[in-house]
Amino acid sequence: MKVSLNWLKEYIDLNQSPEKVGEILTSIGLEVEGMEEVESIKGGMRGIVIGFVKECGRHPNADRLSVTKVDIGQGEDLQVVCGANNIAAGQKVLVATVGTTLYSAEGEAWTIKKGKIRGETSEGMICSEDEVGLGDDHSGIVVLPESAPVGTAAGDYYEIETDYVYEIGLTPNRSDATNHIGVARDLAAYLKINENNTSEIHLPSTESFQVDNHDLALDVVVENEEACPRYSAVSIKGITVKESPEWLKKRLKAIGVRPISNIVDITNFILHELGQPLHAFDQDKIKGNKVIVKTLPSGSSFVTLDEVERKLSDEDLMICNGASEGMCIGGVFGGIGSGVTDNTKNIFLEAAHFNAKWIRRSSMRHNLRTDAAKVFEKGSDPNLTVYALKRAALLIQELAGGEIASEITDLYPRPIQAAEVRVRYARINKLIGENIPAATVKSILDALDMDILEESDTELKITIPTNKADVIREVDVIEEILRIYGFNKVPIPAYIQSAISVGSYPDANDVRNNLGNYLAGNGFNEMMALSLSESRYYTELATNLMDADNLVYVNNTSNVQLDIMRPNMLISGLEAILHNQNRQQTNIKLFEFGRTYQYGSDKEIVEVDRLSVFLCGDRYGESWLDHGKKRTSDFYTLKAYVHHILQKVGLEGYQSSPAEAPAFAYGMKYHRGPQMIAEFGKVQPGILKHLDIKGEVFYAQFNWKALMKAASKNVVSVTELNKYPATSRDLALVIDNSVKFDDIAAIANKVGKKLIKNINLFDIYENEAQLGEGKKSYAVSFTFEDFTKTLSVKEVDKVMNRLISEYEQKLNANIRR
Amino acid sequence: MATEIFDKINAIIEEIESARPAGLEELETFRIKYLGSKNVLKPLSGEIRNIPNERKKDFGLLINKAKQTAEQKYKALEFDLQTAEESQSAANLDLTAPGEPIELGARHPIALTMNRIINIFERIGFVVAEEREIEDDWHNFTAMNTPEDHPARDMQDTFYLKDSTTMLLRTHTSPVQARVMTRQQPPIRIIAPGRVYRNETISARSHCQFHQVEGLYVDENVSFADMKQTLLYFAREMFGPDVKIRLRPSFFPFTEPSAEMDVYLGTETEKDYRLTKGTGWLEILGCGMVDPQVLENCGIDPEKYTGFAFGMGIERQALRLYDIADIRAFFENDVRFLKQFTSVM
Repeated sequence: MKVSLNWLKEYIDLNQSPEKVGEILTSIGLEVEGMEEVESIKGGMRGIVIGFVKECGRHPNADRLSVTKVDIGQGEDLQVVCGANNIAAGQKVLVATVGTTLYSAEGEAWTIKKGKIRGETSEGMICSEDEVGLGDDHSGIVVLPESAPVGTAAGDYYEIETDYVYEIGLTPNRSDATNHIGVARDLAAYLKINENNTSEIHLPSTESFQVDNHDLALDVVVENEEACPRYSAVSIKGITVKESPEWLKKRLKAIGVRPISNIVDITNFILHELGQPLHAFDQDKIKGNKVIVKTLPSGSSFVTLDEVERKLSDEDLMICNGASEGMCIGGVFGGIGSGVTDNTKNIFLEAAHFNAKWIRRSSMRHNLRTDAAKVFEKGSDPNLTVYALKRAALLIQELAGGEIASEITDLYPRPIQAAEVRVRYARINKLIGENIPAATVKSILDALDMDILEESDTELKITIPTNKADVIREVDVIEEILRIYGFNKVPIPAYIQSAISVGSYPDANDVRNNLGNYLAGNGFNEMMALSLSESRYYTELATNLMDADNLVYVNNTSNVQLDIMRPNMLISGLEAILHNQNRQQTNIKLFEFGRTYQYGSDKEIVEVDRLSVFLCGDRYGESWLDHGKKRTSDFYTLKAYVHHILQKVGLEGYQSSPAEAPAFAYGMKYHRGPQMIAEFGKVQPGILKHLDIKGEVFYAQFNWKALMKAASKNVVSVTELNKYPATSRDLALVIDNSVKFDDIAAIANKVGKKLIKNINLFDIYENEAQLGEGKKSYAVSFTFEDFTKTLSVKEVDKVMNRLISEYEQKLNANIRR
Repeated sequence: MATEIFDKINAIIEEIESARPAGLEELETFRIKYLGSKNVLKPLSGEIRNIPNERKKDFGLLINKAKQTAEQKYKALEFDLQTAEESQSAANLDLTAPGEPIELGARHPIALTMNRIINIFERIGFVVAEEREIEDDWHNFTAMNTPEDHPARDMQDTFYLKDSTTMLLRTHTSPVQARVMTRQQPPIRIIAPGRVYRNETISARSHCQFHQVEGLYVDENVSFADMKQTLLYFAREMFGPDVKIRLRPSFFPFTEPSAEMDVYLGTETEKDYRLTKGTGWLEILGCGMVDPQVLENCGIDPEKYTGFAFGMGIERQALRLYDIADIRAFFENDVRFLKQFTSVM
């Protein structure tokens, strides 16, 4: 909302600087988001003076130029070269002196310099209309009347006004401040309390309003009193629609409202002066000499002023004529063919109070966010309509002529009374935390036009002016008091008073930080993707991408392609990898803490927190240490990190099985029964190809709930350190390709029982010629330890022999010796 | 005869002291000669039986001195020679060659900023609460005193789920207030970080997804002054110990009175001038006293309890902290961007 300082000054005496006024407005809740100096002519014609052309002769070197001597009232005459045809000696002209900034039609600034034009000195410029911002005419220089005083600044001659316009971020609760008088009232309250300035607001007088005749008396019927609690109107006869005078245009232009004609401009003026929207109808076009305020059947068609045909709802309140044809969506927007045109002679002027909810719904329904609708939906003052009508009628008579040709119609069956609110001093002090003296409270209430009906030592009963639709409860009044008292005056206590709250251990954020810092320490960068994703990923891909069912669709009108909530973390990571690959970043290690969203079996929404890890490209950059050899990240690189993460939260004793999600070419799944812990593996090349990703991608996802559960149950209990030395043995087992390391380990764990503490695979050897078809050789080491004694060679040999025979029998292994 | 032996030993001691082996090899010769199992002192010490009794003690001492001299000399020579050798081989190393290319990653700037804010409030007893992001209308709006048709709903463009008029992506972290307060009676002292959504076009300055931190403290006798205290503490932790704050009256449906808080950064640096649009003041959060209607909606007696709440955007703080020009950078995950945060604590 724009507020003009000059306009405010019509109602309140302000001697503060524009900046100070801005600060006050902000401090009372009318946040100044910007302040702009506005001039009725851009640049304010600074540097331009009225000059007298004493001599005018041909330019010796250019036929189309003249060389003039101009008196600008400063003793010495200026020599100015001029290219206009209409220049002549004896004229009074506008001279832009050296240093003056002018603006091109495109708004670009340029400066007048002293210089030579074709060899002749020129100390300024004689200006045309468009050059100084007076108008569009470029056909010749502006020739002023004889009477124009030489040497006078053009700005003074044209009475250019400098104004300051505030852009105010008006909050929805400030129905009182949608207009200049409302803002002025609030300023006055502030000044009264904080600067001891007791000057009152000057309200425009309407005393001279009188009804001239009843020539245009007309019936008004309000059928829907809920939507229209008050309807006031008056008819004016014999007006002349024409351009508004400068003062009115200036006011409107300052706040960004385009002047149209005197009648329309006056209604806009009143809206921004008083906060009462008005609507002017051409009374000659009102069929049946009757106005009916009612709803029309749903689906009725109505063409609004912007020539758009709209389908009405039966919850759009319509101002209709005697034939029940809509003329206007009440309080929102006028219709075509009923409003004021250049030929209008008689008008029917409406000032109503509409129900805020009705207005809001209609305004939203038809996407008509008009100034009037915005005022009504905040809650206009129901007791303002008649005053506004009189004020408007007087202005119309002044600027458009005409006679008041009816009584003021005022349909207000249930007058809205000022709200009464009980305010307790103790409550004020409790909420604010400072004891504001009762006298201060009362003077603030007085400054805010809140009248005290009853009072005791402990409380007050007050009335709230009807322009404050949002002030209805004690707490609202306390806010009003504090707003004027000053939020920043409330002292800050030196000691903190606080309840003790107990959190749970471990804190989820701590666990996230711990794992996040671990991964970052290992070269992973933390990513954050959008929770919103694209359904096309799940509909286009030939492979049945994971989690394609039960997608949560979002009605996204701003970014239409982002139409679902992501059901997994995979696509987000792949998008990030693609983004980086397209920017020559190929070795990528990423992780993300995030959420996935899907419908559950009962159509409920299931949000799952997850951790995802991505590996792609080389483990490390090239190095001279490895003679330039690289090792790419693979499943086993990822597996190490997966195990570390599980170790860090103390998660052990889980089951493992092959990864199930179709997005994996291969991989593993760790789980406890049905509860997923982690799933990791190589991403299907088909998916990568579809997304245009090069190379292989390894992906792990963790169920955050499982990690948190483990972390919360994790108990570290230190075991005594073994006093006796460990010993180790190696075996080379030639086995079928189908035998897994886990099979070997399981047997060792069973046979070795308490003695084998560690089993490690330290080499895999594949050579068909040597080992035979379908065979491979595993080099495995076994570490033996006993907590009670030093193990003898005999004891270790005994276990190894049993192991060998088990491997030979159960795994059909051949021991290479 | 005895004197001769004494002279011999003294000569050996002199020999030892003046020895200057050129390298570790010569040092080994030295060791064998004076300290080895067949060292030159051995045959001499056997001569003790030929020494007159009154000189036997001196003889013993002299032999010992010779041995000790040899040992000390050897240790000193060994250290010197090894040092010399090491520095010779070190001279051939290129110590300026790059180290192993073990990479260092980084946390995300949003996570870093969020952590910083959470830590500040945790130090004064706030506990982290996290809730769902897909909310119902009641928790997001109605409970928070924003009934349908209220113009306040204009302040946020909401993502509704397709074909739903009640399920939506939360537009702020405030529904966490409603979730916690409907579950628990005061005292409540929580901080709720999380992701929120607005139906807005994505640009350099605004996004459809961003992060907020919400704070809530409800108890008996919690006042506006207490709120100012907590927020001043926060501002000083975040912006420096001398920073000033200012509260501007504002409007949020769920607080009354409502305010926005600015911190004074000044206009001395170009950055501060730009950030504060020349005013010196930077808006950082919205706050206010919990509206009694909100308490009532959540089943808390507003006569008995009062409280304050505040909320702030994380992205805006991160943009400022790290001089980031485009909000989209947060979610593009360009590693060249992400890598720049390795040194943030």
